[in-house]
Amino acid sequence: MSTGNPILQIDNITLAFGGVTALNGISFDVAEGEICAVIGPNGAGKSSMLNVINGVYVPQEGRVVFKGQDCTKMRPRQIAQLGMARTFQNIGLFQGMTVLENILTGRCMKIRSTWLEQGLNIGRARREEVENRRAVEEVIEFLHLQGIRKTPVGKLPYGLQKRVELARALVAEPIMLLQDEPMTGMNLEEKKDMSCYALEINREYGTTIVLIEHDMSVVMDISDHVVVLDYGAKIGDGTPDEVKNNQDVIDAYLGVTH
Amino acid sequence: MIYRETGTFITSYLEDRKLFPIPFDKWAMAVFMLFMVFVVPFIASDYWLAAHLIPILAYGTAALGLNLLTGMTGQLSLGTAGFMCFGAFFTFNIMLRSPEWMNLPLAMILAGSVTGVIGIIFGLPSIRIKGFYLLVSTLAAQYFALWFFRSYPYFLNYATATVTLPDHHFDLFGIGETFNVDMASFEAKYLLSLGIVTALALFAKNLMRSATGRNFMAVRDMDIAASVIGIPVIRTKMLAFFVSCFYCGVGGALFCYAYLQVLGIRTFEMNRSFEILFMAIIGGLGSIAGSFYGTVLVYEFPILFSWAGDYIFGGAFDTAVVDNVAKIMYGILIIALLIREPGGLAALWATAKQKLRTWPFPH
Repeated sequence: MSTGNPILQIDNITLAFGGVTALNGISFDVAEGEICAVIGPNGAGKSSMLNVINGVYVPQEGRVVFKGQDCTKMRPRQIAQLGMARTFQNIGLFQGMTVLENILTGRCMKIRSTWLEQGLNIGRARREEVENRRAVEEVIEFLHLQGIRKTPVGKLPYGLQKRVELARALVAEPIMLLQDEPMTGMNLEEKKDMSCYALEINREYGTTIVLIEHDMSVVMDISDHVVVLDYGAKIGDGTPDEVKNNQDVIDAYLGVTH
Repeated sequence: MIYRETGTFITSYLEDRKLFPIPFDKWAMAVFMLFMVFVVPFIASDYWLAAHLIPILAYGTAALGLNLLTGMTGQLSLGTAGFMCFGAFFTFNIMLRSPEWMNLPLAMILAGSVTGVIGIIFGLPSIRIKGFYLLVSTLAAQYFALWFFRSYPYFLNYATATVTLPDHHFDLFGIGETFNVDMASFEAKYLLSLGIVTALALFAKNLMRSATGRNFMAVRDMDIAASVIGIPVIRTKMLAFFVSCFYCGVGGALFCYAYLQVLGIRTFEMNRSFEILFMAIIGGLGSIAGSFYGTVLVYEFPILFSWAGDYIFGGAFDTAVVDNVAKIMYGILIIALLIREPGGLAALWATAKQKLRTWPFPH
């Protein structure tokens, strides 16, 4: 579904924690409407890359341009307002709340009523609750979460929690979705489901997806574009086929004899 | 009527958002409120109103305020009594220095709002620090309040130690004179407190089931994820401090006006903050009703134990010994409760309701 126009431009990003350089001069573009996979061995800097993109970390050097706007120094909330949503590697759900409440928090940027109106439960506040509930129910149906609406998320198995987190990201109606290892720790069946959801989200809503994944068969099957990181540097960038045949990538994954 | 959801069909999102999804609960609450309003003032003696019901309502308001901050938003605070102190003193000063038309509920709302703003100032450290470190920094509010009112006797109308609150402060829109009822009687004070507490509890309940409440809980559970999905974390924390301190302020005003009937600095010493923290924890952090269950338990049980002790061993042992044993028993009970159910009384109550729903079957 890619249009070829870059929606996200990563330009020469360098990020260091004290003496450790997590990302070293990384540049790549993500085209509007594509599924872009970021892969690499453990500790390659993939999660740090996502954290830079959505403003959790501020890089020492370089620029992140999203939708033509420089958002390198923006806060996570401002970037979310530009239309970026995200799921976390270790599940960023709110453990004390139910599935429904968790997904409803994803609509927080659509709320216009003030806390006073909400406390008095009048007019706009009541209307918004119903509107947001309707939007949430659409996503619940899309991701097949109907049976667990009122369950506290802490009681759900891992695979379902991942799906609830995806639902929370989706209800914000994002232009771009960042997924940090959406399929790690899942069985084959669940991985298939998650891959299908990613493809459907991409096709149905035209959402650009950037995902980190370790399962190569999934990456090669669903992504339009693959970026390979190793020790904080970019070693590969292209279509799945190009990357598969790149000698540096093969070396990084299989090791080389010196 | 059987306690069941069966037969109740939800056909709209508004219906699914109701306060009482089970009809039995709704009727039980209605009966309870009618009883509290129309029966209790006539059957309860002055002792029961003045020494039990009114203090529970005043303490409950403060416990609810603390619960909104600590239980819902996850920001620990030990400044509760300090904020109550601000609320009580400002209410008194607004009543004292305003023209005739000023009335007590309005004064409490104004004083509560000022307390809320002070709460925001003392809540500023929460932008950077969390948990026990925040707990220590909120102590500043506690000590500042006491120091402030000690240093500026103007706020106590230059009285030494305490001021007795005048009866005419209780008159609402001249009702007292027109209908020749005593608005400063315990019945009137009880009804005034009950009205304010009901309104505040309802407001809190509405807030918690809408976007603001979800933002509170999101900040409590994981603030990084909250900011990534677009929740304004700092604004949410500040709002939590404002609302919480508003409740504590009104609680403090009720504590002095309706319960003690005198205003003094020593009412709001440090141990009051701890007392209210225990009420919130034992009732159940993160539960609105729990704040009141906790208040009843913490306030009534020591009295109950000491009565029971006197009744059973009154003649045989020294009163002081019986009293101390009662305190020990009470302490053991609290420890046992918190080990058995860390979620407090509210969690116990929720489990009981769940059991009732499926009774007589176990699941």
